[in-house]
Amino acid sequence: MLELDGLTRRYGDLVALDDLSFAVAPGRMLGFVGPNGAGKTTAMRIVLGVLQADAGEVRWRGGGVDAATRARFGYMPEERGLYPKMRVRAQLAYFARLHGLDTATAEAAADRWIERLGLSDRAGDRVETLSLGNQQRVQLGVALVHDPEVLVLDEPFSGLDPTGVDVMSGVLRERAEDGVPVVFSSHQLELVERLCDDVAIIKSGRLVASGTVSELREQGRSADEQVRVQVEGDGEGRWVAGVPGAEVADAGPRGVLVRLHGGGSPDQLLDAAREAGTVTHFSLERPSLSDLFRQVVAA
Amino acid sequence: MTAREAVGLVARREISQRAREKSFLVGTGVSVVIILLVVTLPSLLGFGGREEFTITVQEPAAAVVADAAVREARAFDADVAIVRGAALSDVDAVLTRDGIRAQEELDDTLLNILQAANQRVRTAAALRDAGLDDAQAARALSPRPLKLTTVEPVSDGEDRAGFAFFAVLLLYGQLIGIGIFVAMGVVEEKSSRVVELLLSTIRPTHLLAGKVIGLGLLGLGQLLAIAVVGLAVAGASGAVDVDADLLTAAGLALAWFVVGYAFYGAAFACAASLVSRQEDLQSVLTPLQMLLLVGFFLSFGVNNDPDGTLAVVCSFLPPVAPMIMPARIALGEASAVEIVGAFAVTLAAAAVLIPLAARIYSGAVLRTGAAVKLRQAWAAARG
Repeated sequence: MLELDGLTRRYGDLVALDDLSFAVAPGRMLGFVGPNGAGKTTAMRIVLGVLQADAGEVRWRGGGVDAATRARFGYMPEERGLYPKMRVRAQLAYFARLHGLDTATAEAAADRWIERLGLSDRAGDRVETLSLGNQQRVQLGVALVHDPEVLVLDEPFSGLDPTGVDVMSGVLRERAEDGVPVVFSSHQLELVERLCDDVAIIKSGRLVASGTVSELREQGRSADEQVRVQVEGDGEGRWVAGVPGAEVADAGPRGVLVRLHGGGSPDQLLDAAREAGTVTHFSLERPSLSDLFRQVVAA
Repeated sequence: MTAREAVGLVARREISQRAREKSFLVGTGVSVVIILLVVTLPSLLGFGGREEFTITVQEPAAAVVADAAVREARAFDADVAIVRGAALSDVDAVLTRDGIRAQEELDDTLLNILQAANQRVRTAAALRDAGLDDAQAARALSPRPLKLTTVEPVSDGEDRAGFAFFAVLLLYGQLIGIGIFVAMGVVEEKSSRVVELLLSTIRPTHLLAGKVIGLGLLGLGQLLAIAVVGLAVAGASGAVDVDADLLTAAGLALAWFVVGYAFYGAAFACAASLVSRQEDLQSVLTPLQMLLLVGFFLSFGVNNDPDGTLAVVCSFLPPVAPMIMPARIALGEASAVEIVGAFAVTLAAAAVLIPLAARIYSGAVLRTGAAVKLRQAWAAARG
C-alpha cells in the first residue's frame, strides 16, 4: 500500500497541500484529478522526494520512504525531460543505473524496453532527433526501466495521439496487473473513468472526494433522474409538457434530455414519446465522473 | 545507492558524454596545435635555432678559408655550407682570394665566421712560415678558453618567463572553459527538465558534485595532455631546457588547476542554476569571468615583479591565487612556505564556498522560468 498521510506544503503564503491523505493498493490504478493548481504535481513530487513536505509523510508497505525505497519507484514528471544529446539506449541504461541496477542488468533492461516500446531502430539515435511521440515512449521507458514497485505519473496522457494513449493505457494496465500500485494525474476524466479502479479528487490542496469509480459515480447522481430521448423528426420535445413531473433540461441534435422530478416515471415518459413519433433512442443517463468533478470542484 | 556511487555515476556520464562531443575534441586539438606552433614557430622561422648560410668559392686559393669557415661556424651556433659553382645571387657570400663579395648587406654572424676563418688560416700559414710544425701551430691556435664563473646561478630567465606566461594562460583558459562547460551542463538539465527526473533518484548535492568532479577530471586530463605535448616538443626542439625544476613547476601548475577549479567549478554551477535558458547564462556568469580576467591581468604584473608586494598579496587571495602562484613558482620566486600557505588558503576558501554553492544550487535547480534570485534560492533549499 502506498499511503500519503497528512501531506502539507506551503510556498510562502500559498498553501499548496493541506493535510492531503489517500492510499493506493497494490494492483490498483488510481486516477488523481483536480483543477489546475490544485496541488497534484506538488503531491507527486513529494512522493518522489523531489520536494519535501512541511508536514505529513509518505509510506510504502507500512514503512517510511527513504532514498533506497524511492529508487524502486518509477516517475514520469509533468514537465517531460530527457538529455537531448544522449542516445536512447545510453539514456535508458543511465537511468536504470541511477535506480541502482548494475551495469549489465541496466543494459539488459534498456534493451528489453527499447524492444517493448518499438524503438529498436532508434536505439542508437540522440533523443533530440526523435519525433515527439517517440520521445514520449523513451520517457515512459525511463519510468519503467528498473521494474518499479510503485508507478507515479504526472499527466502521462497529455500530448499523446490515440495510438499513444492505447500504448500508455496498455502498459499501465499491465503494470497494475503485475501488482504495482499506479497513480496518475489527468484532466481527461473519461479516460480516468475507463482506466482506473480508484479516483482521488483534490481542490486547493485538499482531498474533496475519493473512492472507487462506481462509488463516485453514485455520489454524483442527483435526486432527479435524467433520461435522454430521441424522437424522429422532433428537436424540441414539446411532447414532454404532457408528462407529469418531467421537464426538458436540454435539447439538441442528440435528442432531448428530460429531468424527472419526484413522481415522474420513465414509463410514462416512454409512452408519451411513442405517441409523439418513432423513438430512436431512450436511455437513463448515468452520472459521469465529470459530473461529480464539476459538483465537488464548484462546491 | 551510496553517495559515492551516485557521484561516480554522474561524473562518468559527464566525462563520456563531453569527451565524445565534437566541440570538445576540436577544442583539445586546437589547443595542442597552438602550443605546438608557439613552441616550434620561432625555430621554424629562424629565431633561436642555428643559423644557416651558404657560400661559394670563386678562386681556388680561397678554398682553404671556406673549409675553415665550415669548421669555425660551430662556435657561432651556425652552419655554413659550400655550394660549388653557384652564382653570387644564389648564395649569401662569395669568397675571393682576399675578399668577400655579397649581393646585399652581409649578415654579421657570417661576416664574423668568415673573418675568423680567414684569421685562423692566415695565422696558421704565418706560424708554419716561422718554423712551427702543424701540431705546434694547432696548439698555438687553440689556447685553453677562459673559464666563466658567476656568483648568482645562471637561470634561463626568458624561458622561465615564457613558461610562466603559458602556464597562466592555460590555467585561465581552462578554468573559464571548464567552468562554462559546467554552467552549460547545469542549464541543459534545467532547460530540458531532465533535472526533475534526476532528483527523483539522487540528491541535488550529488548531482552537483558528480558534474563538477567529472568535468574537472576531463579538464585536468586535457590540461595534462597539452602540458605533456608542449613540454615534449619544447624539450625536443631545444626551445626550452626541460629539467626537474620545470617539471615540478608544471606539476604544481596542474595542482593549482585542481584547487582553482574546486573554487570556480562550484561557483559556476551555482550561478548557472539560477537561470533556465542558455541565453540567460551570460548575465550570471559575467561576475565570475571578470574575477578570472582580473587574476589573469594581475599575473602580468606579477610576472614582471614576482617578488613584489602585489605578487605576495595576490597569492593569498583565493579567486586570483590560481593564476598568480603558478607564475611565481615557475619563476622560482615563491618560497615553500608561501606555496603551501597559498594552497591552504585557496583550498579553505573552496571548502567554505562548495557547501554554500550546493545549497543555492539545491534551492534553484528545480525552479524554471525567470531567473531565481540568490536569496530566494537560499530560502528555498531546506534540508
